[in-house]
Amino acid sequence: MPLLRFNRVSKSYASMPALTEVSLDVERGEFVALVGRSGCGKSTLLNVAGAMDFPTSGEVVLDGVVTSSLGEAALTLVRREKVGFIFQSFQLLASLSVVENVELPLLLARRRRARETALDSLSEVEMQGFAARLPYQLSGGEMQRVAIARALVHAPALLLADEPTGNLDSATGDAILQLLRRIADRRQTTILMATHSAEAAGMTDTVVRLRDGRVQDGGPA
Amino acid sequence: MNHAYLTIFYRLILRPLSRESVRTALTTAAVALGVAVVLAIELAGEAAAGSFRSSVETLAGRGDFEVTATGGVPAEALTRLALLPYALRLRPRIEDYAVVAATNRVVPFIGVDMLADGAHNAEDTGSSEFQRGDFIRVGKEAGWKTGDRVRLIVNDESAEYTVRGIVDGAGDAIVTDLAPAARLLGRGTMLDRILVDVPASRPLEQWEAILRAALPDGLTLAPQGARTEENRRMLGAFRWNLRVLSYIALVVGAFLIYNTISVSVVRRREEIGIMRALGATRVGVLGAFLLEAACLGLAGGIAGVALGRLMATASVRLVAATVESLYVSSTPAPIALSWGVALAGIAIGVLVSVVSAAAPAWEASRVAPVEAMARGRRDHDVRMHQWRDLGCGAALALAAWWASRQPAAGGKPLFGYLAGLLMIGASALAIPSLVSVVARATGAAAGRIFGVEALLASRSLAGSLRRTAVLVGALSTAIAMLSAVGIMVGSFRQTVLLWMEDRLQADLYLRPAGAPGTDRHPTIAADLAARLEAIPEVAAIDQFRAYEISYEGMPATLGGGDARIAGRYGRRAFLSGARPAEVFAQLAGHDRVIVSEAFANKHAVKRGDTLQLALGGRRAGFRVIDVYGDYSNERGYIIMDRGTLLKYLPDPAPSNVAVYLRPGTTLEDGRRAVETALAGRKVMIFTNRSLREEAIRVFDRTFAITYALEAVAVFVAVMGVAGALLALVIDRRREFGLLRFLGGSTGQIRRIILFEAGLLGLLANIAGVVLGFWLSLLLIFVINRQSFGWTIQFHWPVAVLVSALSMVYAATVLAALYPSQVAAKLVPIEVIHED
Repeated sequence: MPLLRFNRVSKSYASMPALTEVSLDVERGEFVALVGRSGCGKSTLLNVAGAMDFPTSGEVVLDGVVTSSLGEAALTLVRREKVGFIFQSFQLLASLSVVENVELPLLLARRRRARETALDSLSEVEMQGFAARLPYQLSGGEMQRVAIARALVHAPALLLADEPTGNLDSATGDAILQLLRRIADRRQTTILMATHSAEAAGMTDTVVRLRDGRVQDGGPA
Repeated sequence: MNHAYLTIFYRLILRPLSRESVRTALTTAAVALGVAVVLAIELAGEAAAGSFRSSVETLAGRGDFEVTATGGVPAEALTRLALLPYALRLRPRIEDYAVVAATNRVVPFIGVDMLADGAHNAEDTGSSEFQRGDFIRVGKEAGWKTGDRVRLIVNDESAEYTVRGIVDGAGDAIVTDLAPAARLLGRGTMLDRILVDVPASRPLEQWEAILRAALPDGLTLAPQGARTEENRRMLGAFRWNLRVLSYIALVVGAFLIYNTISVSVVRRREEIGIMRALGATRVGVLGAFLLEAACLGLAGGIAGVALGRLMATASVRLVAATVESLYVSSTPAPIALSWGVALAGIAIGVLVSVVSAAAPAWEASRVAPVEAMARGRRDHDVRMHQWRDLGCGAALALAAWWASRQPAAGGKPLFGYLAGLLMIGASALAIPSLVSVVARATGAAAGRIFGVEALLASRSLAGSLRRTAVLVGALSTAIAMLSAVGIMVGSFRQTVLLWMEDRLQADLYLRPAGAPGTDRHPTIAADLAARLEAIPEVAAIDQFRAYEISYEGMPATLGGGDARIAGRYGRRAFLSGARPAEVFAQLAGHDRVIVSEAFANKHAVKRGDTLQLALGGRRAGFRVIDVYGDYSNERGYIIMDRGTLLKYLPDPAPSNVAVYLRPGTTLEDGRRAVETALAGRKVMIFTNRSLREEAIRVFDRTFAITYALEAVAVFVAVMGVAGALLALVIDRRREFGLLRFLGGSTGQIRRIILFEAGLLGLLANIAGVVLGFWLSLLLIFVINRQSFGWTIQFHWPVAVLVSALSMVYAATVLAALYPSQVAAKLVPIEVIHED
């Protein structure tokens, strides 16, 4: 059973199709790149995969749970347990310190030992020395590492990354991609990454090409 | 500003305002309420305070001089003036009040010389009829028509009268001829006033000298309407204080405008930078934000004028009741909203908005081209200035202390008001530090106790220090005024209760029927006193007679009571600390007086001074032997022994009577015996307890308007909190979207907003109560003392404060319900991908 299955999933916004009849299986520990032009449906696919949005039709199964049929409260629980997000613009809360940002998903889920787990997660991305800093005191690459630590802190089965290197220079972007590769290998975390970059796609196991909301082809990178 | 600028202004300023219509409406409503309260108090004050002259003075018409005297003007004075070889127009008048039995309404009762005054019209059946005691004419506003039968209570007698004509321009007054009026009111040959019109052949100064020479000593000759002017002056302090209280809502509104424009500037910092890079000048940017504030002020001002007119109608009765209780008989005049006043109201709205927006607009104009500073950095800058702000706050607090030590200027506590403003400024500057310390100190603990929502709320408040500080400043100012006025009124109430405990020692109190008035002293027939003294259950009676007098151009009350009785029973507290028995022993039978503290402060009179009073056609000096605490009216009392008063003013009828029962007599028995003795007379009997209850009822009614004003200020602030939280939700929508991505539920998002409101309320309550305590000291010991001359003992009205603050707190949290709903409804994937 794949960790994530899209079965003929379609999604429209005000009758404008964003995804059309998308079928896709992603295995545990697989690092998948979603590539395609802007507006091709990459972000929509990530949102539907991450239980942030409902498909208009079709079925989404995440770790054995049919998320497309769940209500708002149940979807929140799925996100808390199974999904981590990384964004292009890092999305750290300016008023919280680095470690507070990282422990946030655990606090929202009312998990115990949040601080220790958050510090462990920061160590994993080599940011343990920055725990007390505020986001504006970090560089772009450092912010994205913190964002990755936050996405991993509750040990999700699925990590969704939307253009994680889009706001970074190439050297920093490479470092971030290597970090994601390591995470997929060491933790067996499934990663679904939307990207424009061919270099980024080259680091993944599988590349899925999207065009006008449809999967064009999928195969090894 | 050319067309292009207007287009840009519309696109970048007005269009965003219209998109956030709820928040814009809340800010506009805050300005509208501020303007409305100021306007309402001005209109209601004018209607209530301006009306005392209407019935009596309108009927009198325009004239040159008036002759008056305490205890009445002898008819001989009229004769002397009539014998002068000049073409003088003399209009003798008797002026008093009657109570309409059916409604208990008090109306002026005026006796005029029908022929000399011309107070007749086509409906009259002939002036000779008015020699009859039961025929009256009435003003149109009284609401009666010719032929109606009306029951009136005059002094302690009730009788039916027939309306025989309507008099133009007499308001709600009852008018009759001199002779029946004199009979009814027991004036004998005394008049209350002679109006004198002089020919234009000489200057008024010459006429004044001629008339003065013709009149006996002890009579007062003054320009007509002098008493009205005295009343206006006396009401000055009351209206000033009411006005200042009404400005509080406007000050709170100003905080909120500041906040709105600040949010606007912070939010559009990048836009401003881009506009500057594209060629916008600093002046252009400054003007755009000032114009945004002006638009909000204009809309608020226009709405405020309409709302103010409605609020004036609601508040005029409250203001009039206070004027009636504490100052002068009055019937509220119609509320007059002129174009001038309306435009002034709108101008106030615009001016306050523009001035409040000046600082953030200036900041906007300093934004460098292509500046895209992160908001976190901006707030960090504010934190960096905390110490400087604290220092400035301390300097303002010192200046406030200095101002509070200064005496009144022109009879008004101007430095007291300045001290209050400086205190509010000092508090506003100290608030960022308070927010920072409290939010950080409580953040971790709140997180542990209430969960991550509380932690995020406290961090958000500390992180957006500038916005939080302004909001806490606005709400705490309103809470501070509420607390300060609450403490002041509570202290005053407690002081009055203690004062009544000392002052009211008799078992029963008698006064003529009808609503009491500070400047009305209807009398009880003199023979009743003898009847009361003869009752076996009565140990003693103290007859008190009061007269309205003018002292140094201000109204005051002259009273005469039995010093022997007061010495035996009284526990009146004298400022010198002397025992009452000693003071009253010195008073009995001598030309000596005691004066109330309000009188002493108002006229700078102290123990040992001599007051020159014109009584009964004579001028005499009375030595002040002590000053006593009194809270019954603001104009102040001069009290002498009844024997001394009768020597100058030999009318024995008392205004009220205190009855002391013999030991062992029950209150019921004593009251029954007194009622029997008073049979047929319209006299009200109060037990000691019911008189105190009545006094406290009047007290509470008097301060109702004060509480209403504070409630509006708090309402404005709470509305501001709602608007600001809405702005905060809009600003932080990406953050809330992110929390949803990170596993946050909609309930958690809602709770974050509610916790923020709760924390804002808590911070505002802390700052408000501290500031309120200092403001209350200022109100009690500086402003109140300089305005009214009363010494008030400080007292914490704990129950009132706790319940008021709890309500404000609850309202603040409730105000967050709508913004929290908006936050919960945000679509995370839309807001997170806005970049």
